Amino acid sequence: MQTRPLGDTGHDSSVMTFGAIALNWLEQEGANQLVEHVLDYGVNHFDVAPEYGDAELKLGPKLRQHREEIFLGCKTQERTYEGAWRKLDRSLNRLGVDSIDLYQVHGLEYDEELDAITGDDGALAAFREAKEQGLIDHIGLTSHGDPDLILDALDRIDDLETVMFPLNPVVAGKDDDEYDYEAVLARAEEQNVGTLGIKAFAAGSWPSTDELSEADRPFANWYRPVTAPDEIRERFDFAAARGLTSVISAGDPKLVTMILEAAADYDGMDEAAQRSLIERVRHDDSPVPEQLHH
Amino acid sequence: MDVPHTVTTALDDRSVAGKRCLEAGAGVGNATAGLLANGADRVYAVTNDRDHARTTRRRVAEAGVGVDDGGDRNDDTGDRLTVLEADLRAVPLPDGSVDVITAHGLCNVLDPAALSAVAEEFSRVAAPGAQLVVDDYDPPPDDAAIGELFAVENAASELARGRPALTFYPAAFLRRFFVGHGWEFERERTLLEPVPWTESHVSAHVERAASTAAKCPDEPGDALAATARRLKSEIESESVGRMYGLAFRLPD
Ligand SMILES: NC(=O)c1ccc[n+]([C@@H]2O[C@H](COP(=O)([O-])OP(=O)(O)OC[C@H]3O[C@@H](n4cnc5c(N)ncnc54)[C@H](OP(=O)(O)O)[C@@H]3O)[C@@H](O)[C@H]2O)c1
Ligand SMILES: C[S@@+](CC[C@H](N)C(=O)[O-])C[C@H]1O[C@@H](n2cnc3c(N)ncnc32)[C@H](O)[C@@H]1O
Repeated sequence: MQTRPLGDTGHDSSVMTFGAIALNWLEQEGANQLVEHVLDYGVNHFDVAPEYGDAELKLGPKLRQHREEIFLGCKTQERTYEGAWRKLDRSLNRLGVDSIDLYQVHGLEYDEELDAITGDDGALAAFREAKEQGLIDHIGLTSHGDPDLILDALDRIDDLETVMFPLNPVVAGKDDDEYDYEAVLARAEEQNVGTLGIKAFAAGSWPSTDELSEADRPFANWYRPVTAPDEIRERFDFAAARGLTSVISAGDPKLVTMILEAAADYDGMDEAAQRSLIERVRHDDSPVPEQLHH
Repeated sequence: MDVPHTVTTALDDRSVAGKRCLEAGAGVGNATAGLLANGADRVYAVTNDRDHARTTRRRVAEAGVGVDDGGDRNDDTGDRLTVLEADLRAVPLPDGSVDVITAHGLCNVLDPAALSAVAEEFSRVAAPGAQLVVDDYDPPPDDAAIGELFAVENAASELARGRPALTFYPAAFLRRFFVGHGWEFERERTLLEPVPWTESHVSAHVERAASTAAKCPDEPGDALAATARRLKSEIESESVGRMYGLAFRLPD
């Protein structure tokens, strides 16, 4: 599998990152098998968080066995110094490892949160101490929020080495600033910050829970994912071709092998084909009857 | 509204800011929105279809065309846009009055005779040094399923009106054609490859074919309508072929 330099971290990440939330839906034995399977494909970057149910615990055994082969990303939703330290200790314990390669501010959503984490008593102060103590190697940030907020974070956090944000043909087709994650990608590239893509496989939202209860959803994803092998492949190629360092696999374990196959075969997607995909989903989505034109 | 990437790609190396533009065949206003977003001084969006004229006006007005330049350009898009309901074979604009002409997805709905008449009008209304942007589709490959649907649509149109509904002119053909009308060729690029003919495109073409077939003599009309409906479920959607973008300039 192709690898790309993850910003200035010195690590070359595989073009697919394993979203270890998938382990939460498996028993321990299945989780072990899935980790071996993912490693067999050459994936060397894993992403996990304490919020993903049992994922940290289920990742633990195989992570420890293959610690040298895995660049481990973890995160915290805590915004304070105390909170971040507590969560980091807890994750290290649950994972059963001495250090985490990339520790990320998880799910930044509001301006106040950016103020909080960058403040004297903020989470980043804990991150930096932990870095000095060798408990973490690199600092990152993740957000499904406003691209402007991520741009601000890139401005304000000097030692930020990676950002994680959504990128797919649906958002790429929208002009509004609230979807302009491409601006984030461009800025991160400029600053040599690594970029990790989420929601690459999102097709749309689920029907309302009146129409389809959560228990009846066929996939454990927050959104309705694309599920056919060709679609998965196109979505992967699109996200990787846009220039992300690495594309994170979707949360449902049923999709992981298809994504691995796509990632292993990845050899670029030209711009006309990228536009073709943007145009297709725009029409699937379009509220106006413009069926005859592109 | 979001300006489609086909349009932004077709325009991104053209100089549009401050220019007077003719958007030939306004359709749903995609190219109109692109021209306004790129700072056109004025856009004359011409279509012979009343619904298209309305749609173009409405979509551009609703969305401020995605222009975000601190607001000073945003609120005057209404002033910069004139939608004209007219025939492009007789454009209601004076000689030498526009600096940019866009024909985005237009030529495929013009049969050769109409194309010829429209090209004469482009040459007439263009000012010296004007730019022409022609975006269209290469003929779909022979084995494309969507080609069968276009064939049915054309057969119905030929029977009902004596001319085809759709003509896919190869890029090389339109290139030489407009050069023959005095335009200097500047560049060609690929806007889409493959072209995504989505379910909504397919069903729109099926509806068109069926409604045109209803105007044909009974026997072939019924057969064409039935074939169109069958193709709808057979094709569903297909990504095939190429959409290209040509750019020309009129010598000063
Ligand atoms: N119960 C929980 O607290 C919780 C939390 C996360 C995921 N999950 C489960 O994980 C499944 C897998 O998710 P997935 O396949 O969508 O994986 P995925 O493919 O990329 O996305 C999983 C992510 O969804 C994100 N997410 C959490 N809340 C969200 C929200 N309100 N809107 C949009 N995204 C949100 C989380 O990302 P971030 O980690 O970056 O926020 C989570 O990692 C979900 O269906 C859900 O059942 C549960
Ligand atoms: C496929 S649409 C073009 C799409 C449009 N340029 C856009 O960007 O959304 C073709 C348009 O050309 C118009 N048209 C076709 N023949 C015409 C003619 N002879 N005179 C004026 N308009 C014409 C149609 O009514 C339709 O609005």
